Amino acid sequence: MERTPPGGAGPVHVPLGHIVARERWRGSQLAQEMQGKVKLMFEEGLALADFYLSSRSCILYITEADLVAGHGYRKRLVRVRNSGHLQGIVIVEKTQISEQYFPAVQKFTVLDLGMALLPVANQLEASCLIIQLVQEQTREPSRNPFLRKKRCALPELSLVQTVQQIPGVGKVKAPLLLQRFPTIQQLSNASVRELEEVVGHAVARQIHAFFTRPH
Amino acid sequence: SAAPSSTSALHVPEVHTAPRLPQEGHRACILVDSREITSGLEVISSLRTVHGLQVEVCPLNGCDYIISNRMVVERKSQSEMLHNGSKTKFIEHIQRLQSMFQRICVIVEKDREKAGDTSRMFRRTKCYDSLLTSLVGAGIRILFSSGQEETADLLKELSLVEQRKNAGIHSAVVNPSKCEALQFYLSIPSVSYITALNMCHQFSSVKKMANSSPEEISACAQVTHQKAEEIYRYIHYTFDIQMLPSDLNQETVKSNACSV
Repeated sequence: MERTPPGGAGPVHVPLGHIVARERWRGSQLAQEMQGKVKLMFEEGLALADFYLSSRSCILYITEADLVAGHGYRKRLVRVRNSGHLQGIVIVEKTQISEQYFPAVQKFTVLDLGMALLPVANQLEASCLIIQLVQEQTREPSRNPFLRKKRCALPELSLVQTVQQIPGVGKVKAPLLLQRFPTIQQLSNASVRELEEVVGHAVARQIHAFFTRPH
Repeated sequence: SAAPSSTSALHVPEVHTAPRLPQEGHRACILVDSREITSGLEVISSLRTVHGLQVEVCPLNGCDYIISNRMVVERKSQSEMLHNGSKTKFIEHIQRLQSMFQRICVIVEKDREKAGDTSRMFRRTKCYDSLLTSLVGAGIRILFSSGQEETADLLKELSLVEQRKNAGIHSAVVNPSKCEALQFYLSIPSVSYITALNMCHQFSSVKKMANSSPEEISACAQVTHQKAEEIYRYIHYTFDIQMLPSDLNQETVKSNACSV
């Protein structure tokens, strides 16, 4: 096992696809479930988090016992939040016993600190979730459906629909108006007389009124 | 719809009906999609009665709750997140919200249990975990709720946070004379209901809006500079009839008879 210089607070080096875990997790059910699926490296003197997914991202694990014991866990969360270089994901054991404390943890973690919080029922569930988080970290960002840039629909189609919202303009007049006044801005600045070249007098006045009257 | 002659209505008094009270926790405004009346009635009544928020039910077209100028909240039942069946639909929906809102929060709500029904026990799936991690990876907030009342409480807390960050909703009242303008603004791609509403309130006319700079759009519509640029480009985009799909193009010619 390689070791990074002790000291704790500095950035932790995590090879791709590995997890650096705090020494105290050695032998736990959580660690055993993960071994074989991801490579775990135990390290002593990790001050801030329980698991490091990368040098920038870590997991803070709050056990059922931590929750019942009181607010002690909060100090750890704040230290990660204030570290500046770390994104902290908080995993909390939400069981029948600790359920009642969950709303308070959630408010503190998500709403006050702005960190991500994920509840699990036990260490087995946590191991599956952490493996999933590692996979999320290692794959390309574009594989995440919520980070993929969606292609825009044809602006022409939207423009026709926008112009159709003007009172008196339906799907026939909209393209005709856009052919004469090819941008919304130009259409908005058209005079009644100019509009009359495309549509009738009544509709021309309606369009002009729509753009110019104060709402 | 309103008659064009209603120009005389000064919009000054209306602004005062929804004042920005500095006191926290009260009279904050939340927009609720009208579909939530059937699926989340208890959320709406809790927001009104327990938390005393101003709740405006609007046709939000699939955005469950808009709690600030930039934030939308999607309420999702846990059972729907667990199964692969609705995954694609959920992803597409969130992508649509991403095109309109700067910040998104998903509230995962536990399904209501019937007495004695043990068949709907929560069994965590890989699909559920992968959705959660993708959401976390994209910076989308997730909150977990045990039921509709707790969801209402979380919505209130979120709205307080947003108010503290000066992104609170000023006024959700739509003057009938502004309805047509609202529909017009709503048809601009990736403009949310609250952005359209802000445009209605802040621009004196639609013409004024169409001739605004990105900076003015950003300030009036309460959107990021990037979003304002996007709206500005749309207003100045030069229409080319050749780019319309041909079926629609021909339809234009022959639909004279059947146009309403």
